[in-house]
Amino acid sequence: MNVITNNNLQCTVALATLQDVYDPEIGLNVVDLGLIYQLDFDDEQKEVFCSMTLTTQFCPMGESITDGVRTKLQDCFAAYKVNVQLTFDPPWNYELISEGGKKYLNH
Amino acid sequence: MFTSSPNIATVKTTSWKVVLPFYLYAAISFLAATVLLFLAADGFTAHYFQPHTLAVTHTMALGWGTMIILGASHQLVPVIIEGKLYSNKLAYMSFVLAALGIPLLVYGFYVFDMGEIAKCGGILVLLSMLSYIINLGKSIAGSQSKNVHAVFVFTASLWLFITALLGLALLFNFTGLIMPDSSLHYLPLHAHLGIVGWFLLLVIGVGTRLIPMFLISKYNNPKLLWQIYFLLNFSLLSFVVFFYFSVPGGYNFVSYAALFLAVFLFLIYCRKAYMQRIRRAVDEQMKLSLLSAAMIAVPLVLLAAIITSLSVTAKASSALVLSYGFLIFFGWLTAIILGMTFKTLPFIVWNKVYHLQSAKGKTPNPKDLFHHGWYKAMTVFYLAGLLIFCAGIIFSQTMILKTGSSLLIATAFIYNMNVIKILWHKASL
Repeated sequence: MNVITNNNLQCTVALATLQDVYDPEIGLNVVDLGLIYQLDFDDEQKEVFCSMTLTTQFCPMGESITDGVRTKLQDCFAAYKVNVQLTFDPPWNYELISEGGKKYLNH
Repeated sequence: MFTSSPNIATVKTTSWKVVLPFYLYAAISFLAATVLLFLAADGFTAHYFQPHTLAVTHTMALGWGTMIILGASHQLVPVIIEGKLYSNKLAYMSFVLAALGIPLLVYGFYVFDMGEIAKCGGILVLLSMLSYIINLGKSIAGSQSKNVHAVFVFTASLWLFITALLGLALLFNFTGLIMPDSSLHYLPLHAHLGIVGWFLLLVIGVGTRLIPMFLISKYNNPKLLWQIYFLLNFSLLSFVVFFYFSVPGGYNFVSYAALFLAVFLFLIYCRKAYMQRIRRAVDEQMKLSLLSAAMIAVPLVLLAAIITSLSVTAKASSALVLSYGFLIFFGWLTAIILGMTFKTLPFIVWNKVYHLQSAKGKTPNPKDLFHHGWYKAMTVFYLAGLLIFCAGIIFSQTMILKTGSSLLIATAFIYNMNVIKILWHKASL
């Protein structure tokens, strides 16, 4: 799992908080599932940019998962404006799952 | 700095308001079909062409199988075609027309009066199918991805329409001959197109997308799926041609061989998806769905026996034909639905209840929305009922048939309780 970022410290904090957002069908959080592609922080404009994907486009749970990510980031970075963008380029595949996530699914 | 991707997509799935009425209607139909089965148990000791047997078959095929598939497909088609459903209004129309038409049709069969009521029911059902096809075709035309699964689903819907059209013609043929032969003559064609063209094609098209998705499997083989697709359609088209030109029975082996090969390849596909899954734990609903995929082999063995019997003695035993039909609708199709209902319905309702609260607190998982104890009891009653009823057909014993159908009523009752529990779920935050 390699999340692109311009601020490692804030990215670590964001990823820790996003571990509370789950894909309800798989039972794995969005970070270990590899849904988060990019987290950038603009400290001057006070903005957080998150680029993420879903396991499948038009996933029935998609709205709930993206809302969850937005809410958690907003709670964590209250002074910032949160901007969550959904992308399917590249599309998600099982290789994006973290080692911890694979272990959980193999259990 | 962050640069936004040009390939941004918004995610809007079909509204639950469109989908849930289909599920509720199907659940009630399943209960009604099992009660009719109990009342019509005597008919399963005689010839398969009986008014009550026709009523049970159409309650199962239309009220139960088709309604739940239409409902689920309005939800799943956007996932498969990677595009939005074209029209909610057409989906509602499809529901209302079928919901009104099916009871009229079934009533006509039950009292064996193919008059205005049954005809009106048949026309309403046909119009419902037409709404569905238009909606599906427009959705696929407007989508980004024209994949093999979408082609399966659309072709299945065309076969459904042809089946319903032929069914309506047979209905009119009962009261005034509009076809060269009696309706009974065309019954195998009507049944075969519905079972293989609609149910089998659709189940394979959707199943080969959903099974790897739910198992998180690495396996994907569109080439094999195209082979299955061509085999099934070749089987159907050749069957229609042989039937139309009254080609001697022996040639039908070509159609059946293509069908058996397609199903065999489908089972190989399912097995490979299962073996290459990343998610090791398989839940009860998926186990029943995978079992149901394999259960298609049982009626196919019976079909092979019927074909052999027809080619040797020029007639097939009624018990064999009844077992085949029973195992298609109450076996294979019902097992798929019993498994997939509890895989899809909890998610639709969870989304409706919790989608704005997913990060605000601990929400239950979708699988917590139904009662797992009831689900296990339902599975036990179902498998016992299925086997006992089959034994009743083979031994031609009404008492055994009544026992088997009682267990299936219990199955449908528990299924309805669990469906209602899910549908009436309130937020527990």
